[in-house]
Amino acid sequence: MPRLGRALVLASLPLVAAGSWTLRAGGQDDPRPAFVASDAGTYAVRPAPPRARVRPGELIVAFRGAADGRTVERALRQAGIPAARRGRVGARYLATVDEQVGLERSLERLRSMDEVDYAEPNGLVRKSVPATFTPNDPRFNIQWNFSLVGAERMWGIQKGSSGVAVAVLDTGIAFEDYADPRTGQQFRRALDWEGTEFLPGFDFVNNDSHANDDEFHGTHVASTVAQATNNSLSFAGLAFDCALMPVKVLDGDGFGTFFDVAEGIDYAANFSEGGERPVKVINLSLGGESSSEDVRRAVDRAFANGVVVVAAAGNEDKGSIDFPAALPNVIAVGAVDALKLRAPYSNRGPELSVVAPGGNCDRNDSGNAFGADCVWQQGPHPEFVFLGRYDVFISLGLEGTSMASPHVAALAALLVSQGITDPRSVRAAIEQTAERLGGAPAGGRNDEYGHGLIQPAKALSGLGFNQDQF
Amino acid sequence: MRLRPVLPFALCGLVLPGAPAAAGELGIEAHGGYFAMSASNSARAVFDGSSGGGTFGGGARYVFGPGIFVAAGARTFSKTGERVFVANATSPVQKLGFPLEIRITPIFGTVGYRFFQGRKLVPYLGVGGGVTRFRETSDVAGDAREDSRSKGTFHALAGVEFGAGSFRVGAEGSWASAPDAVGVGGVSRVFNEDDLGGFSVVGKLVFSFEL
Repeated sequence: MPRLGRALVLASLPLVAAGSWTLRAGGQDDPRPAFVASDAGTYAVRPAPPRARVRPGELIVAFRGAADGRTVERALRQAGIPAARRGRVGARYLATVDEQVGLERSLERLRSMDEVDYAEPNGLVRKSVPATFTPNDPRFNIQWNFSLVGAERMWGIQKGSSGVAVAVLDTGIAFEDYADPRTGQQFRRALDWEGTEFLPGFDFVNNDSHANDDEFHGTHVASTVAQATNNSLSFAGLAFDCALMPVKVLDGDGFGTFFDVAEGIDYAANFSEGGERPVKVINLSLGGESSSEDVRRAVDRAFANGVVVVAAAGNEDKGSIDFPAALPNVIAVGAVDALKLRAPYSNRGPELSVVAPGGNCDRNDSGNAFGADCVWQQGPHPEFVFLGRYDVFISLGLEGTSMASPHVAALAALLVSQGITDPRSVRAAIEQTAERLGGAPAGGRNDEYGHGLIQPAKALSGLGFNQDQF
Repeated sequence: MRLRPVLPFALCGLVLPGAPAAAGELGIEAHGGYFAMSASNSARAVFDGSSGGGTFGGGARYVFGPGIFVAAGARTFSKTGERVFVANATSPVQKLGFPLEIRITPIFGTVGYRFFQGRKLVPYLGVGGGVTRFRETSDVAGDAREDSRSKGTFHALAGVEFGAGSFRVGAEGSWASAPDAVGVGGVSRVFNEDDLGGFSVVGKLVFSFEL
């Protein structure tokens, strides 16, 4: 039976209600309180102070062709310019303005003269630098995992496309305000989905079209993929301009069946809107030790339809990869910590494709202000969830290959957005550009890290005629 | 410059006996035509599906009395395309939209023989070698990279010149090879194509005068 990945939970800075506190789950399937952390406070990303755009006291002045030396000298003097240096070509001058007159007044005088072709401040330029994008979400600086994969440069290249959707097959997503008439449960949309597009999903556990999250795992996973970003709120998501599809195949305890997983895969892969099939990536942060022909065939059908399937490798620190991650048409994702070391729980094996940040909540090698290298995103407040309430959201820290998998799913969505639409090519781009770890040779792999840690910007850059990715 | 053993034998074969004696003739040439790259799969991947494009250049040649000539010149081929991803040689080419430009500039010397020198229609053959300079620039969201390299090349050509007096026209076809010039990265490595040469067909304008 598929189950949730390792769920070590830290919670602080509630987005809606409650104080500052922390939960920790010690085991696979039995989250329980373990310790309490102090309030981490509020963290704002401060923009760097603006740099001057012009060189103080200097003007560029160009005179019309007919202006002779005497005319130029008189004009400069009238404009309050005691010194000027002529350029190499034409009647262009770099003029130093008299401080007592001031740059603005000199500029005004020069521009009013018939003999002056143009006059402008001597602007400053800087070296051309690769485009980056730093979101203003206040807790982006907690997301060590995004820094580890070079998210800012990645966003400088690609932020996603609304025509590309990631289906998250999980416990559901807190994507809507909804009162369930059957159970009386009140679901609420998480706060940081501003502008996020959700495609119509399905709840295969309760057999309705309201795939809301009655746990917290699915919302956290989906938030890593595409939490609203650059909206001055909470955390960022990796492929935030892509759409999400909530597909609930796991119940409120984090368990599901192979039948529902296969149903969910088929639903997502065959979903059509306006004659298009927008779901290009399916994330499966779930797994188990037994296998299923039904799921394998559903994966193969999705793959044949051009859908990239990504799954968590499992969290038992064992030498085999969980099912369905071990399937040949699935990208199996292991986890590393902030030091790029295999997370102590991450499974190993020949089917492991790549690794991504999955976190280690027992450490704080990143030195983040929340005090633990969990993967932090928005999520339903676990203690309120235990009480049957799904309307309180917090900053939620989790660890596990479940958290690593959505990093790769998001990268796959970005690659599709950039133009790499063939699932085999998506996988090859991800694997070929991964940073080899654990002594794996260039171009090679090992069972601990697969092909290595994903490098999204490199994967997105593609190949030139004789140039590799960079 | 890298010459292969075939070259000296070819040169010997071109020195034909019995050619009529004449004064030396210097010609200044302008070339324009089409260049098709040997690395055709790589070119088709990054360009618009074609493996070649326009080329132009020029040079000078000197014809010794019997019809033997030496020539030197340069041409350039430049084309813009985009970066792509190709997983392997049989995978689909996935265009990514990041601009890319390639410039290939061969500088070459040729020795050869002009048949029926002094008549209106003069066919000729030649072989030679030189250096081909390759430059690739691309830009991925503000990160511009340049890769340039030079490699020895050899070529063979055949052509015909028509006209009398100082101004003539001609057409020339040539094949060039610059092995091991590319193929170390990018799509040229994926397709295992390392030769930067190719076929050229050019038209020529020649201004010649006797020395």
